[in-house]
Amino acid sequence: MAYSFDFGLVVSGEYGEWLRQGLLTTLHISAISIVGSLLLGTLVAVLRLSRITPLVWGSAAFTEFFRNTPLLVQIFFWYFGSYSVLPDFVNQWLYQRDFEFAAGVIALTVYTAAFIAEDIRSGVFAIPKTQLEASRATGLSFLQAMRYVILPQAFRIIIPPLISQFLNLVKNSSLVMAVGVMELTYMARQIEAYTFHGLEAFTVSTLMYLSISLVISFAVNMYNKRVLKIAPR
Amino acid sequence: MRKIVKLLAISLAMLVLAAPAFAGKLESIKAAGVLKAGVKDSQVPFGYVDEKTSKIVGFEIDLVQALADKLGVKLDVKPVTSATRIPMLTQGDIDIIAATMTHKKEREDQIDFSITYFQTGQKLLVKKDGGVKSVADLAGKKVGSAKGSTSEQNVKKAQPECTVVSFETYPEAFLALKQGKVQAVTTDESILLGLKNSDEKPGDYEIVGEYISPEPYGLGLVENDSDFRDFVNLTLMELWETGKFQAMYNKWFGEDTPNYIPLNWQMELWP
Amino acid sequence: MRWDVVANNLQYFLLGAWPNGELGGLAMTILLALGGIFGAFWLGLLVGLFRMSRSGLLRWPAFAYIEIIRGTPLLMVIFWFYFLAPVLLGHSLPGSYSALCALIVFTSAYIAEIVRAGVLSLPKGQMEAARSTGLTRGQAMRHVILPQALFNMIPSFVNQFVSLTKDTSLAFIIGVNELTKAATQVNNRTMNAPTEIFIAIALLYFVICYVLTAFSRRLEKKLVRYQARGR
Repeated sequence: MAYSFDFGLVVSGEYGEWLRQGLLTTLHISAISIVGSLLLGTLVAVLRLSRITPLVWGSAAFTEFFRNTPLLVQIFFWYFGSYSVLPDFVNQWLYQRDFEFAAGVIALTVYTAAFIAEDIRSGVFAIPKTQLEASRATGLSFLQAMRYVILPQAFRIIIPPLISQFLNLVKNSSLVMAVGVMELTYMARQIEAYTFHGLEAFTVSTLMYLSISLVISFAVNMYNKRVLKIAPR
Repeated sequence: MRKIVKLLAISLAMLVLAAPAFAGKLESIKAAGVLKAGVKDSQVPFGYVDEKTSKIVGFEIDLVQALADKLGVKLDVKPVTSATRIPMLTQGDIDIIAATMTHKKEREDQIDFSITYFQTGQKLLVKKDGGVKSVADLAGKKVGSAKGSTSEQNVKKAQPECTVVSFETYPEAFLALKQGKVQAVTTDESILLGLKNSDEKPGDYEIVGEYISPEPYGLGLVENDSDFRDFVNLTLMELWETGKFQAMYNKWFGEDTPNYIPLNWQMELWP
Repeated sequence: MRWDVVANNLQYFLLGAWPNGELGGLAMTILLALGGIFGAFWLGLLVGLFRMSRSGLLRWPAFAYIEIIRGTPLLMVIFWFYFLAPVLLGHSLPGSYSALCALIVFTSAYIAEIVRAGVLSLPKGQMEAARSTGLTRGQAMRHVILPQALFNMIPSFVNQFVSLTKDTSLAFIIGVNELTKAATQVNNRTMNAPTEIFIAIALLYFVICYVLTAFSRRLEKKLVRYQARGR
């Protein structure tokens, strides 16, 4: 099969603009979901460590369920399933807005939060128990001890795994194209359908993903080297 | 270790050697004893999975079955989507596309088409009280469609002010309409009719507007294989002339079916 | 709620059209996952060993392979196999084969890193001791280092298997008839129970993945105890 490559087609003009828009949407949805998943993940981890049985069980169920089901299924669930779970006026309000995007953000946030919660939990476990006991002994409440003593230390250890979760999130954001969010993969696919020059579109978008990944993993390596004094292996 | 390397080398070599010798489609289908057809698997009544038998059935399946019968080979249907059907054909995954595909000039670069076997036009499916009656009303609204379809491209041209949300399949777009996420679904009238009728309350929806574009369906065939194209075209004409085509049509679109569309066009018949 | 829709189609979710037609649904998901982990283990082991090789000719390509694959979304890898394979091979692969190849290649990059981490976590003395008994580097790797490293890495392999099982859902995008595809097919036909359908298949995935995760955790605990005893 003869295939003639035409990169000019996908880096300039209308289709170039599509890819650029797609990249911006990918960065946009990733940025919002990263902030969201960090907040939700921390909350879930704190609940899991709280020693209040219903909270521990609830947060454990949350992490286990969302870690052990495919993201794609979760995206479909939030997009098509929220209809019968949320009250009607909330749905109508949401639908007036960019609901595809919102469902994508919710799915990515919840999925990643489940992983982040586990990373934070193991980071906290890495801090000796005596730290918590000692800070409780100085009169701090559980939450104060978490906020001022344990979490700041734990975060230092969990920053590398956290960043690789963010990296996964950027890559996972490609799945939201299944519900019509016009991000990078969606646009590449669209160009394939319009021009039959999919390989060029896939090459350019793969390179875009790769550059994002390389920048992030470079940052992790630097952090490991400078702050944690671990040589990259 | 050495074993693994050897294994890898052998499997690579096998992949390369497995490339088929170049032959006409007609011969290769007969030699294989199977006609591989790409069809829709969730498009009532063109091609969909029957709940009882879990098999794909529909008008287009009957049509390619007739082709397979004429060739004296078995039929193997493979589900395709609007986005996957052309790559699958050019890659040789399937021998023929019978998947509600409009015969468009641009597609001629990639594949060939048979004569028209179904004629319809693109319209809008909306909720009865949704306030959309024509393409003009779509300004500022969301319209659902399928990725890689002509409908998606046509509606953008007809109404640049609307947002098109594209799904993998039309039923997903319809579900979004049902739930109020889009205000209209746009594609060929025949497909819209199938979507509307597959709902529990078809009366809640209506098909509106002028034809945005005419949509003649053709079977998709590999580029530059005139023997196979002749065979398909002549068989289609024979089906029409013997009345078998009309019988097939009435089975899926006749008056006593829920998807009634009168047969008000003529197949192109060569003397 | 319309759970009857799920009940009516449960067999289709589990087996597809089998035995009357093609196998699909959860059975296909499991086949993809098993085939994927088998292929990815051997390919990943090979790449991981190359990555640790002292020859730059092996090390750098392996390094590039791992970094490029790990920096690319799986969906992109799947599209690559789907659209590029025919251009390279001159003929197409069926959807399930393209998906399987993509899953193997994608997962192998992660397996390679697991293998490397496993080997590097062993005390250096192991290699030195093995070499001093007269084994070549290759022999020492094969008979002394790898058996220990791979054994220690079993929990990581199981976790990777869980990821892979979830990842098989992406094969749906190129039309492979696995569980997610079966769910969308039924959803598209019935259109009255999306919530129920997606909850049901999420639970099916969950059962498999959770059992595996729990297994890997128990194994991990056992291994820690076993290693602690050894020291």
